[in-house]
Amino acid sequence: MSHSDTIPLHASSQSDIDEIENLINASVQSAPATVLPARPPSPPRIPVSSSPFIQSNLPPLPPSAQKPSSVPSVPAAPPPPPGNSHSNIGVSGFGSPPNTLTEPVWDTVKRDLSRIVSNLKLVVFPNPYREDPGKALRDWDLWGPFFFIVFLGLTLSWSASVKKSEVFAVAFALLAAGAVILTLNVLLLGGHIIFFQSLSLLGYCLFPLDVGALICMLKDNVIVKVVVVCVTLFWSSWAAYPFMSSAVNPRRKALALYPVFLMYVSVGFLIIAID
Amino acid sequence: MDLTQPPGENYANPRTCFFHVLFKAAALAFYILSALFIDNFVIIFVVTVLLAALDFWVVKNVSGRILVGLRWWNEINDLGESVWKFESLEQESLARLNKKDSWLFWWTLYLTAVAWVVLGIFSLIRFQADYCLIIGVCLTLSVANIIGFTKCRKDAKKQIQKFASQTIANRVSSTIQSAFSVV
Repeated sequence: MSHSDTIPLHASSQSDIDEIENLINASVQSAPATVLPARPPSPPRIPVSSSPFIQSNLPPLPPSAQKPSSVPSVPAAPPPPPGNSHSNIGVSGFGSPPNTLTEPVWDTVKRDLSRIVSNLKLVVFPNPYREDPGKALRDWDLWGPFFFIVFLGLTLSWSASVKKSEVFAVAFALLAAGAVILTLNVLLLGGHIIFFQSLSLLGYCLFPLDVGALICMLKDNVIVKVVVVCVTLFWSSWAAYPFMSSAVNPRRKALALYPVFLMYVSVGFLIIAID
Repeated sequence: MDLTQPPGENYANPRTCFFHVLFKAAALAFYILSALFIDNFVIIFVVTVLLAALDFWVVKNVSGRILVGLRWWNEINDLGESVWKFESLEQESLARLNKKDSWLFWWTLYLTAVAWVVLGIFSLIRFQADYCLIIGVCLTLSVANIIGFTKCRKDAKKQIQKFASQTIANRVSSTIQSAFSVV
């Protein structure tokens, strides 16, 4: 079903009756919307959302009659078939409606997973786009951060010999509330950052600490733990630095970065102190 | 959806409806029952939140589109600003949507949020802060979907009205033009 490309734009040259007829034909043709292949996303996909929120994540649907403005989009002509692109993010998705319209759920899942991987690479590993945070994490999603926070909580909880539930709850609450508060901190300092983008970023920057916690769980030597935690701590801070610092006034850089570093230090202490 | 079957008699998309309800019910059921049988908070947390997140994804991406023809997402435009986008079907398709489907969609959405609030009240009464954490996360996900879809529906109505008034204006002007050209 790729009739979306036959649907004309709302051109003023076309008479209204023709337009309405075309739309009716289009929706009639695609009205028998196929029931989705009934395959729930197998890996814990997790999306707004992305909101996530997000998404969360994803090239916007179709449609031909879309104007490149920030006005909410014009109603789509064909009913989007199942499994279509998971929303969120992905400004680049405008270009190829026919491909995303008919994709099954599994494709959506794969696309979302690949988005998580690409976001991770952008944030945590060196790459040329790091200096331009607006572009770097354009396709923010909250699924990666969710995975990482839960994983960190689970690892810490596993390493703890007593009070496992409290450790998990504390770790999760600390990381989630910490991300929100750090974002608010930047906003209150007069910085220009988008709330969910920043949450997403701080979540992805937890990846090095996740790796560190995993290593610490496997090797119980104190010295190894301290070294590993220090290395991963600096890696996390390095990952978060360009995004946070470019969001605020240069004179307030330290004020924005210091709490981030503090949070990572406290998580590092949690990792070392757990026995 | 078939045009041959009179709408309102059966669910038009039974499998989608099933999945729409499945994860919500599973999250609620697991949370309620596990407190009785499982002693490990971590497992309860992870499984419940996982089911709630799966439900969020399914509702946002699959059942929202199929059952009510609505879709919402967030984009960051070239200027670096965050823009909320809403998308909906045309009026003819909207009118042709199965009433039972959309009834199920909206009611389960609202009822789930209410159920989480009630469970949250129970946790608060018992002073169980860690269970409140689970409730908080699940409630956030439910409310996010509710807000997103409600805004999307309002936006769809606005679009339809705009489209209708535009069409009428165009018809009127073209009628006047043809009237003048005849004269």
